[in-house]
Amino acid sequence: MGAYELSLLTLIGINVLLALSLNLITGFCGQISLGHAAFYGVGAYTAAMLTKAGIGFAPALVAGAAGAALLGLIVGIASLRVRADFLAITTMGVGFLFLGVVRQQEWLGGELGISQISESGLGETGFLLLVLGLAAGVFAISLYIKRSWMGFAFDSIADDEDTARTVGIDVARYKLVAFALGTAIAGVAGGLYAHYARIIVPDAFGFTVSISILAMVVVGGIGSTVGVLIAAVLLTLMPELFRFINDYKLLLYGGLLLLTMRFSPAGLAGLARLGWTAGRKAERRPA
Amino acid sequence: MRFGGLLLGSLVAAATTLAGAAYAADTIKIGFNAPLTGFAAADGKSALTGAELAVEQANASGGVNGKQIELVVYDDGAKPDQAVPVAKKMIGQDKVAVGVSGSYSGSTRAAAQVFQDSGVPYISAYAVHPDITRAGPFVFRTSFVGEVQGRAGAKLVGEMLGKKRVVLITLQNDFGKSLAAGFKEKAGDYGIEVVNEYQYSIKDRQFGPIVSKVAADKPEAIYATGYFFTAAPLVKQLRAKGVDAPVIGQEGYDSDKFLEIAGKAAEGVIITTSLDRDSDQPETKQFISAFEKKAGFGADMVAASGHTAIKVAVAAMRKLDGDVSDPAKLRDAIAATEDLTASTGSISFNPLGEVMKAVQVQVVRDGAWHRHSVIDDTALLAPPAK
Amino acid sequence: MLYLDLTLQGLIQGSMYALIAVGLTLVYGLLRILHVAHAGLFTLGAYIAVTVTNAAGSLLLAALVAVPLVGLAGMAIYRLLYEPILHRPPFVALIASIGLFICMEEGFRLVFGPYGNSFDLSPVEGSVQLGALSLQTVEAATIVAAFGLLGALAVFAGRTRIGVAWRATVTDPEMAQSFGIDTVKVRYLNFFIGSALAAVAGVLVALLNNFVEPTMGSVPSYKMLAIIVLGGLGNVKGTLVASLALGVMESFGTIYAGHIMDRDAIAFLFLVAVLMVRPQGLFGKA
Repeated sequence: MGAYELSLLTLIGINVLLALSLNLITGFCGQISLGHAAFYGVGAYTAAMLTKAGIGFAPALVAGAAGAALLGLIVGIASLRVRADFLAITTMGVGFLFLGVVRQQEWLGGELGISQISESGLGETGFLLLVLGLAAGVFAISLYIKRSWMGFAFDSIADDEDTARTVGIDVARYKLVAFALGTAIAGVAGGLYAHYARIIVPDAFGFTVSISILAMVVVGGIGSTVGVLIAAVLLTLMPELFRFINDYKLLLYGGLLLLTMRFSPAGLAGLARLGWTAGRKAERRPA
Repeated sequence: MRFGGLLLGSLVAAATTLAGAAYAADTIKIGFNAPLTGFAAADGKSALTGAELAVEQANASGGVNGKQIELVVYDDGAKPDQAVPVAKKMIGQDKVAVGVSGSYSGSTRAAAQVFQDSGVPYISAYAVHPDITRAGPFVFRTSFVGEVQGRAGAKLVGEMLGKKRVVLITLQNDFGKSLAAGFKEKAGDYGIEVVNEYQYSIKDRQFGPIVSKVAADKPEAIYATGYFFTAAPLVKQLRAKGVDAPVIGQEGYDSDKFLEIAGKAAEGVIITTSLDRDSDQPETKQFISAFEKKAGFGADMVAASGHTAIKVAVAAMRKLDGDVSDPAKLRDAIAATEDLTASTGSISFNPLGEVMKAVQVQVVRDGAWHRHSVIDDTALLAPPAK
Repeated sequence: MLYLDLTLQGLIQGSMYALIAVGLTLVYGLLRILHVAHAGLFTLGAYIAVTVTNAAGSLLLAALVAVPLVGLAGMAIYRLLYEPILHRPPFVALIASIGLFICMEEGFRLVFGPYGNSFDLSPVEGSVQLGALSLQTVEAATIVAAFGLLGALAVFAGRTRIGVAWRATVTDPEMAQSFGIDTVKVRYLNFFIGSALAAVAGVLVALLNNFVEPTMGSVPSYKMLAIIVLGGLGNVKGTLVASLALGVMESFGTIYAGHIMDRDAIAFLFLVAVLMVRPQGLFGKA
């Protein structure tokens, strides 16, 4: 495999991690977030600062996850106060606040960001394997959670919070768990990204990034682990696939979001389900 | 999962075949990344047009030892995370002999690291961040580091114009911040008192509050960093408010678009840049007219910079008689560039790969850019050497 | 004096925000959709204004073309995009809207070029003197337009038959329908008026900056969301007050807190702080 394929696969792995992490919060637990890139950013900045200070790559990744989860918990606590669209806007606000503050911190490189971040020490293939391994792990955990009691609790909160409360589910606790878990994974993705690009600037964690992560979740089919995985892969590859038509690739991206939502609002997962039932019906009916 | 893995594999394969253009031995490829979409698309397009012009001119004059040059262009949206795969693609798939950045600092820095790690030369056309060339010996820059141009601005304001009470209006990005840092570093040397500094974001077009405050500050001069799309509305709003202190800008203003947007308010604005509209140099004169013919609009600093960077790459390849099989030799040939005449001046590099050339000072007179003066103070303009 | 000037500048910015945000809050009030593509309509208004003025030489004509045309475009977006997905969860419409907004921005870039456009001849010059304060004619026009149009809207909603029907539908669509109000017609009207107001803002911004560009809607696209939340989603008066308050906050913030955080962060700090104390927004009903 060439350097380009390696780097593309690594980027896909990082985006899969990001999309699955948001899927835990938005897909499973029903808490819309428009500021997910902030947690990604906290992980990236924490890990980058630590490895630049001479601390090992692994502890730096863990610290990045912890930092992101800490902020995630704070936002999670805030999310207990606001609901639905208000929550969406609040998380968007958190994203802008994160960016606005980081931009002005000279010790974080300010606008110039942090460059010459040390290498992970794993080599390109080793790094890719780590990223893919982590993505596979989170994928497996997602599948497991979905089937567990926690998954059921998440589901019922996403469905109707008040009903969940009346059947004795500790709504607050589960929401916080979803936020902590999802943001910690985003933090890991951030640490990986920092050592992939080896330069980070505030804009890499801006609003458009939050939106593109959410787009992966929604296009995949909110809550569907497999759908989100496929969408993350597809949406990462799309700009690469269409590089030969530089001028139109963003237009295509926007068009894809628009058309998926317009014609298959349940995302790819919905489309697959539709195809599945249609196929079964066709089988049953003699020709 | 099985389905996902399969899909992933086949998509990567598809991406590879689609993009893997046939490698032809009779052409030499130069990689070029620029923001063709997003907020920086205007600069990306100018830089690309300048680069294309340079390639056409080189091919018309025999290419490199008979081989034609092919420009391999990728959009990076001015984003570092897009620049990494783009750089890897140029090196790994397109097998470019040399890469040229027509992009902003963030993406250029990310790509520079990749080129350095792969041992392929990379030339940045107009990005200002000092760390770009620090990626290593394979990375060069044919434009000024932000701080250097900021220092030239301080000399222009404090010494040449004799203005001492100055307000800074700083664009909050790497461009604005590094220019302002250079200006403040040398301000004291020229007796400049920085009365106040205000910051704005690259998305701002309405400057009402800053303009009101500057009017109250009553400075002798305003050093405002920005690009034509922020600076033109700013200057227009300053003048409308009755603030008539001279406005000093930089290469980011350097576009006919600035004149078009600011209109009468543009008169008297002075900038530091690297393209001299009133140059007697045949190379520069010819570039200005050829560019206008090709693009349909006037040449700007970004276009000239894209043109210059390609010219440096071509000159080095010609020195090797078109044998670009060894990237290290090509790197040495680029490093050895000496007094190469280009549209943005005479190009030589210091040991870090930074360009050493004079700063052009331009002023708006009668609705056009004209020569104001030239700053050729080698001690002041010395780029970082490590 | 300076404080007065800064306040005035904040009010100008706030008036601009209000013109754009009112359309958005109306859409939200009626359909519970976060209509991000609204900012694309603002840009469309600005582009039409510049293009028609340069072609026909008349700003008035340009405004008369831009405002209704953008209103119609808003109606088309409702019919073609939102109506079929109304019964879906709200994020479906949100992502669709973001997709449309990206397409619009890219469309402007492909049609009009990445460099942005300006008026060939600046159609409005000069300034107005308000005591010791001076402001540009366009700035004065912005304040007048915001207050005038929103005032007229209030009269329309309060005094006319269709206006009353409209308000009734926003408050309780099912109840309104049971009273025989044609709620579909109300929705079209809603999109027309909201989009037309955004076009007015687009024309004014084009004049103020003498510059329109493909990405000029990106700031309003998200900042308006903050404003309508502050104003209490669906609340027109609240949105006006929130717009003006935010404009003034930003005006002072840019000068006195600009070195700590940027203008966007100031706006969203205000937003998050308010939501933590009043989760229903400044003027929302609990």
